[in-house]
Amino acid sequence: MAPVERAALTAGAIGAAVLKRGERATLAALDSLLASRIAAEIVDRVLASTLVRRAVDRALEEGVVEHAADRLLEGQELERVVQSALDSPAVDRLIARVMQSEELWRVVDEIAHSPEVTDAIAQQSIGFADQVAGGVRARSRSADTWIETKVRRALRRGPAPASDGG
Amino acid sequence: MEGEYEGLVTRAIAFAIDAAIINLVAIVVAAGMALALSVLHLPSGLDPVLVASGATAYALWSFGYFVVFWSSTGQTPGDRVMRIRVRMEGRGEPPRPARALVRMVGLLLAAIPLFAGFLTILVDDRRRGLHDLLAGTVVVSAREEPLPPLRGRHAAAPLTRVG
Repeated sequence: MAPVERAALTAGAIGAAVLKRGERATLAALDSLLASRIAAEIVDRVLASTLVRRAVDRALEEGVVEHAADRLLEGQELERVVQSALDSPAVDRLIARVMQSEELWRVVDEIAHSPEVTDAIAQQSIGFADQVAGGVRARSRSADTWIETKVRRALRRGPAPASDGG
Repeated sequence: MEGEYEGLVTRAIAFAIDAAIINLVAIVVAAGMALALSVLHLPSGLDPVLVASGATAYALWSFGYFVVFWSSTGQTPGDRVMRIRVRMEGRGEPPRPARALVRMVGLLLAAIPLFAGFLTILVDDRRRGLHDLLAGTVVVSAREEPLPPLRGRHAAAPLTRVG
């Protein structure tokens, strides 16, 4: 190996070691900064200022939130989180507690007896009964026409004149 | 012009609905009366009187049901379901109580000879049975009117009822 190449390699190794030490020193300084009261004070002051609100406003205006929501909904991450939450026994315990609570059944009772719900059920029942009755009416009128046609033909009478409902 | 004359099948179904209502009410009332009488321990000699009273009440109830509905709105509940209506012939109004009573008697007379009195509905140009001919009535289709809205947010569904 030529002396020049050897010198270059040595210089590179020294540079890498310096960078590594610099990184460690920077991270150590950051750790001590974050652990200090000054960091907490900085965070409090930033949150108290209008900066956060402006940042949120800008994010909303620029569509950043929509983009993030789209990304979240399109990706598999949300599905995985929901699936793991549903699979956890905590959900079963939570559902069991909710089902046992009297408040839930009070709410269900209130909803079931609310005028809106009873009116909706009544309306649906009337609609269904009216539908059934409509079917019966249509069939009975067809049967009337059929029977009268047969009887009139058997008696050699002409078709019934158009009714005026007198 | 009020609508078409209604035929035998439609009217028979309306009558069957009315008969079901009449008998259901009669059965409930009779059951209640029987329960009450079983507590009172009445002498057995009163049984024929009670039976005759029950039969009279049933006949009055049946007659009253038809006569009142025909003479008031021209429609029994069964007629309402089938959307038909009893009208005086040529006048378009419900029969008066006396006419309704005549029609009811005519209905019984039409039923006595194996319901032969109803067969004229099949051949008459105005689809009149014997009872219609006796009372001067016709049975026509009832026009439809929208149902009144229910209270709350679920009102104004596109349903109709006979009017």
